[in-house]
Amino acid sequence: MPPATAWLADTPSASASAPRAVFDTRTLPPTVAAALWRGNQLGSPVAAVHPSGFEALDAALPGGGWPGHSLTEILSPQSATLEWRLLGPALARACAAKRSVVLVGPPRQPHLPGLRLAGLDEKQLVWIQAETPAERLWAAEQLVKGQAAGALVVWLPQVRPEQVRRLQVLAAGHTGPVFLCRPSTAAQESSAAPLRLLARVGPDWTLQVDVVKRQGPPLAGTLRLTAVPAGLQAVLTPRLRLPSALRAGDGLAQPFTPRQADPCQPTETNHALVRPSAAPPRRRLTAH
Amino acid sequence: MLWSALLLPRPDAASPPIDAARQALAVWALQFTPRVAVADEAVLIEVAGSLRLFGGWRALTKRLWREGQQLGAQRITWAPNGLAALALARASADPPARGVSLQAALDALPMAVLSAVRPHATTLAHIGCSTLGDLRALPRGGIARRFDKTLLYALDQAYGLAPEVYPWVELPEVFDARLELMHRVGDASALLFGARRLLLQLCGWLAARHSGTTAFTLYWAHDAMRSRDAGEGGHLTIRTAQPTRDIEHLTRLLAEHLAQTTLAAPVGDLRLSADEVRALTEASRSFLPDTTDQGEALHQVLERLAARLGPARVLRPVLQADHRPEWMCRWQAAPLALPRQPAPHAEGPQPSFLLPTPLKLALRGHRPIYQGELQLLAGPQRVEGGWWDRVAGADGDESRTRNVVRDYWVALSEHAGVLWVFQTRLDEAPAWYLHGHFA
Repeated sequence: MPPATAWLADTPSASASAPRAVFDTRTLPPTVAAALWRGNQLGSPVAAVHPSGFEALDAALPGGGWPGHSLTEILSPQSATLEWRLLGPALARACAAKRSVVLVGPPRQPHLPGLRLAGLDEKQLVWIQAETPAERLWAAEQLVKGQAAGALVVWLPQVRPEQVRRLQVLAAGHTGPVFLCRPSTAAQESSAAPLRLLARVGPDWTLQVDVVKRQGPPLAGTLRLTAVPAGLQAVLTPRLRLPSALRAGDGLAQPFTPRQADPCQPTETNHALVRPSAAPPRRRLTAH
Repeated sequence: MLWSALLLPRPDAASPPIDAARQALAVWALQFTPRVAVADEAVLIEVAGSLRLFGGWRALTKRLWREGQQLGAQRITWAPNGLAALALARASADPPARGVSLQAALDALPMAVLSAVRPHATTLAHIGCSTLGDLRALPRGGIARRFDKTLLYALDQAYGLAPEVYPWVELPEVFDARLELMHRVGDASALLFGARRLLLQLCGWLAARHSGTTAFTLYWAHDAMRSRDAGEGGHLTIRTAQPTRDIEHLTRLLAEHLAQTTLAAPVGDLRLSADEVRALTEASRSFLPDTTDQGEALHQVLERLAARLGPARVLRPVLQADHRPEWMCRWQAAPLALPRQPAPHAEGPQPSFLLPTPLKLALRGHRPIYQGELQLLAGPQRVEGGWWDRVAGADGDESRTRNVVRDYWVALSEHAGVLWVFQTRLDEAPAWYLHGHFA
């Protein structure tokens, strides 16, 4: 804590131009310092922040997580490749807090058994099948305005900057995070979303995330986040944790030879087979 | 006692006021107080006991005026008794300034503002009376002899010297309100203006009964000048997931449904009936301003989405006890109830996106390719069976079974991420299919 004299010295008789003796906010715990507002500062809105589940990503995001009250753009070269791997922990957290997760216009049908493995709760999940860009935007706008969902994921393959701006203005009242999934070609366009990430699928179960835009200094490097799809953790052997090494080694370099598989091989769900294999054409009668 | 008079316009001085409009206003006003009376062309309500509940006099006036205007009210006035409020409303005088007594305010009004004066208006005018003050200055004994007792009694009632007795309007057991539109309406979405007036009555009726509606029907009758095949009219039933009497929500729902309706002929009449009414317990309001719960409930938003997109496109998942990926999960319309018992957990890895129909993959030297050659990582997970699942075939007469014999693999594609592919085993030509994404 600052010495009391710092306040006593700061008398009205001191000249206004002289730098005032202010106490050092660095001496306070970071949470207190963030919440402290001094009369001579501009007010900063107390924003809700939702941890992303990745420490490296949290450190790069302003506030330390996915922001509430604003939009977050996830740009990816191809849709339906990495959404749940990147957003899963945050969405699971929303489900655990008994808030709804609403999906607007996902590119494929969400598969609930897989989403349950990612920690999502079927009671909190809503799928809006919006097809045309106008429908997607309208549905997203209604949901953002209603402020009823805990988290919102909207796939917007085609959207104009002014439409994003409109959503961003409306999102000011939405406590939960609002994710817009857009193609990576949109990275060249301007966007009103205060946080934009460019995510790609990297080798060896990583996601490569570039922070295209954030409030604060730009981030130079690419973040590498280890995100194994939910449910695959259990079947990954130590060798399978580095598929790139397999590929570089004997995996695909050798010509592919169909291996005669034992037809009576027991079915094991957790059985992991590293070497690519294809059963030859077999005809056998089933018991049924 | 605090009385308010809501004055309805009358087409001309001689004609009686429109009864339907008066009744509509009275039913709507019953949500504020049980003391609602109908007097000539106005509805009188006594709200002294309700002021606190509705947030004070100022807030109540604002709300009465805003909603009353939509129901056709022309003027709203306040007075300590009903006849005085009615007199002030008829005189269309400015509200008396603070500190002016009721007596002084009434004395200045023309005497025709009291209904009881009207039969004797000519005689009174001949003896030089023009205002209520003039009338009151006449000797009481003379008035009682020359005119009738009701005139004197009404005068006393207006000045607060005699008690008032009104037959109170009773709340109808069943809500069924009609409205004749001012113009023929040819466009369904233009019906909303008239329908909102009916909805406002409905919400007032529901509030007075402490209930909410889960289904209501809007009927419309086609105009007499219609083509023969247009029929008598049509109707639109709207259901909500939770009982509600939120006028804004009901209006928006109705607007969405009307936007998808086409009228066969111009419409002249509207009727609204409440089909299902359930008791509604209201959440008590917080003393402190509530910042967290400013939005709507999710089901309200979903209802609105379902109204525009169609109920089959706002979905919630239900897990099925099936091991074949296509039938593991069923998506049903959001308002339907979800099963209580927890669903079984699927074994093994499951993708998070599923293709509705498996996509056949091309082969390059016995190796499946999808945006590059696939690297098979883990498997096989064998999924077999389904001979019991019989569906009618495409041509209708021949049934076939949805039997699957598949070996699922987790595969890695260079560009498309982690995939869920399978190889069929019993087909004529075994082939590789893409069935899901581990996104």
